[in-house]
Amino acid sequence: MTHSRGLVALCGTFLLAACQPSQPVSEPETAAPEAGIEASHDTSFQVDVSYYQLDNGLRVVLSEDHSVPTATVGVYYGVGFRNEPEGRTGFAHLFEHLMFQGSANLPHGAFDDLIYGSGGVNNGSTRYDFTNYYEVVPSNALQAILWAESDRMASPNLDEAQLDNQREVVRNEVFVNVINQPYGGWIWIDLPMIANENWHNAHNFYGDLSDLDAASLADAQGFFDRFYAPNNAVLVVAGDIDKGETLAWIQDMFGPIPAGAPLPEIDTSEPRQEAEKFGFQEDALANQPALAVGYHMPDRGTPEYYAMAVLDQLLLQGDDSLLTASLVNEEGYASGVFGGINLLGNTFNYDGPMLWTVGLIHDSEFTVSEVMGTLDTTIESVRTSLVSEADVERARTKLLADFYSTVDSGTRFGLVDLLAAFALFDDDPARINRITEGFEQVTPELIRATAEEYLRPTNRTVLEVRLPSEDAGSNE
Amino acid sequence: MMTTIFRAALAAASLTLLPAIAAAQGSVQPPIGEPRPFHLPETRSFSLDNGLDVTFIPYGLAPTTRISIQIRAGNIDDGDQTWIADLTGAMMEEGSGGRSKEELATAIAAMGGSVNVGIGWNSSGVSTNVLSQYSADAIGLLADVVRRPDFDAGEFDRVRQNLIRDVDIQRAEPGAIATEAYRRILFGDGHPYGRSLPTEDQLRSYTMEDVRAFYRSNFGAGRTRIYVAGRFNEDEMEAAIRSAFGDWARGEADEAQGTQARHGPIVQLIDRPGAPQTTLRLGFPVMGIDAPDAPAMTVMNAMLGGSFTSRLTRNLREDKGYTYSPGSGVTWTRGGGFWTFNADVTAAETAPALRETFAEVRRLQDETPGSTEADSIRNWLAGVFVLQNASTGGLIGQLANRDFWGLPEDYLDTYVPNILAVSDAEISRIATDYLPLDQMVLVLVGDLSLIADDVRALPELQDAHFITSAEE
Repeated sequence: MTHSRGLVALCGTFLLAACQPSQPVSEPETAAPEAGIEASHDTSFQVDVSYYQLDNGLRVVLSEDHSVPTATVGVYYGVGFRNEPEGRTGFAHLFEHLMFQGSANLPHGAFDDLIYGSGGVNNGSTRYDFTNYYEVVPSNALQAILWAESDRMASPNLDEAQLDNQREVVRNEVFVNVINQPYGGWIWIDLPMIANENWHNAHNFYGDLSDLDAASLADAQGFFDRFYAPNNAVLVVAGDIDKGETLAWIQDMFGPIPAGAPLPEIDTSEPRQEAEKFGFQEDALANQPALAVGYHMPDRGTPEYYAMAVLDQLLLQGDDSLLTASLVNEEGYASGVFGGINLLGNTFNYDGPMLWTVGLIHDSEFTVSEVMGTLDTTIESVRTSLVSEADVERARTKLLADFYSTVDSGTRFGLVDLLAAFALFDDDPARINRITEGFEQVTPELIRATAEEYLRPTNRTVLEVRLPSEDAGSNE
Repeated sequence: MMTTIFRAALAAASLTLLPAIAAAQGSVQPPIGEPRPFHLPETRSFSLDNGLDVTFIPYGLAPTTRISIQIRAGNIDDGDQTWIADLTGAMMEEGSGGRSKEELATAIAAMGGSVNVGIGWNSSGVSTNVLSQYSADAIGLLADVVRRPDFDAGEFDRVRQNLIRDVDIQRAEPGAIATEAYRRILFGDGHPYGRSLPTEDQLRSYTMEDVRAFYRSNFGAGRTRIYVAGRFNEDEMEAAIRSAFGDWARGEADEAQGTQARHGPIVQLIDRPGAPQTTLRLGFPVMGIDAPDAPAMTVMNAMLGGSFTSRLTRNLREDKGYTYSPGSGVTWTRGGGFWTFNADVTAAETAPALRETFAEVRRLQDETPGSTEADSIRNWLAGVFVLQNASTGGLIGQLANRDFWGLPEDYLDTYVPNILAVSDAEISRIATDYLPLDQMVLVLVGDLSLIADDVRALPELQDAHFITSAEE
């Protein structure tokens, strides 16, 4: 079970399956057997979704499913790395830790005691455009857990001693995940910092340690007042619930929390990249060089964005992908290639500029230009030739299977995450049941056109991880 | 204070208003009712004449099917050839039944899945997750992978190089360095359990023929069980399995010998100059999973370090800020088991963190925990059991665990009652019986110039045998 809360606690980082789309229901190839087992060939799948908004602006999504007697709660605040103030890098994440330190009616530790003591687990994470708090509990504890979430939405205890304590915890988190690990931050922290031009997208999301040290209680109160208001939040409850009863509890507990001032608009846009960028870093802890390549994505929700998700499947995801075939199977540069859209989440749960990223750790005997030469040849093939309909169909099938895996898990965290993202960013959680639509429009011609524009070498950043040179020895 | 009085007055005035008013941003936590019952899904098992076992688990909402073929073959069968099992598994992914790796990958991807051969200490798994309409077809593909690997010599050098690279990368990670040393102390060089990573020279010495020999000796119907979970047609699936596996040879019996972990006091200090944290492993040998004390061990572990509300997490993280993700757990082995506490602590706080850790062990040994805390931990384990069994992958894992260790058929049905029956006093007894501090095994990977003197001065380590080494 999860023991940690933080940036990489959830993402694990490259393993998290993209949550994805479906395609039209296909008929089973064999005749449906007699009643009793015919359900086994029923390929329909529909997520129950109800959507409400309270007077204070809180958006509420309820999804009922009684297969397991547990209920999953997710509270998503529309604040992430991109919103944190200059001079306070890493603050969104540090603040996430503070939200676990107690609230008006729950002293330090009581929140965790309530959830674990009732037989549940909880965690939180900070991402580009949201910070989330989530728990799964036996359904008999739902009312109490909603009460606890409302208590910390209304009035968390922001306390100097807890700030100091969590500052040390976060410092240790950065040590264990980045500074004391080989390849600690290259692809998911350092690459976006080079690839992006706009500070909101280009600063250190985990935080410079000096910024973490400078963070004050006044910063925390200001951050809470500005961003942690019900009108900037989505509450999702899924599982073994009675929707009417649950909504009444939510109305009673969250309804009295006053709305906050409208959020400040921030400009997170990135200019069109016109020239290829390069960076390198020496990693004193690494034994092998590594290479990360990031391309700016098309805007979320556009036809080209859906085409990029299909391209991601064709080029990078799974052993049937083109880059696995060329870089791993044919050339033997590396044991595997990894990456994708939004390394800290998935294709859907972000709202701003994003990279499509490819990474590999390769043997020293191969030069960067050799590896890049093979990568270029592979990517050029989809920029110049049309992929087959069969390839597109296979990509859609993989996306559909990923989507099913995401929503059909024991904790329902994947389901809650998609519902929250679609409510927060699209004001339309029912989109989960139309998740395939964008992918169905993708044609081989659109794929080629998208690759031509977005997989241009001049739209990318290449970051090398080198072994320390003889006279140097420091990491970064 | 005002709100409390106000609410109390209202409650007296109107009972019907009570629930809503009390809850509205109220200071009183709503009660937690009785948990609703949780039932494990019905399963159906059968065996083929060649000894292959099959278990069906109809379960799940989405139209997908998870197939996991579990084989009683793993690193325990490596002999002196550390990771020959991993090399065999990697070669099994390279093509089978005359289909290349890419052809195989393309065929299974068109069904929504991928083929993964996972090698474990004690057993291995070949698994996939596909859309339901393809589940019977997927059986044929997986049968090729398991029964008819091509073992193409043309791929061998590249695949072996992949393992060499992977091991090299692991040796740069403080966690892997610590675990390797820890296992060697617990099990010695003489048993595969004690050798978690091979040397590069070892890997270079392995040949295609070694892989074939390992496969021949360890893969066969008699050591295999297939789990199918999700939404699928049972009749079609049974027919597909009988057709694809019915004529597979039984193979050699599983005769791997387990061994019990050793105890200390032994402390190994591994230098990692400049490391801002110390990576630690602290452990003791414990009973096997089938022993009467196993449920109490599970509860003791959760209370001491195995849950977010555990004492070690509360103390080292939430109180002191020494570490981010401390944790403890039991690893069951053939021959017993061992308990491990692991953490990455701020270098300067290494000795203080160890002092707190030892103090928490002693406190649990010396004082019976209060029943509020113990109830909370027992409840948590009961709740986690539901979560563990609420997905196709989780269910397969639970059943495979039961079957591998030869536990009773009703093991999963009795698990929660057995956990809830562990008394408060038993928790302390388990800590006393199995975590004797004067017999600890402790491995520290960190900057020894910062930590070694303070660690050596700890009273609990005065009788320990110290091993000091440079990072490998």
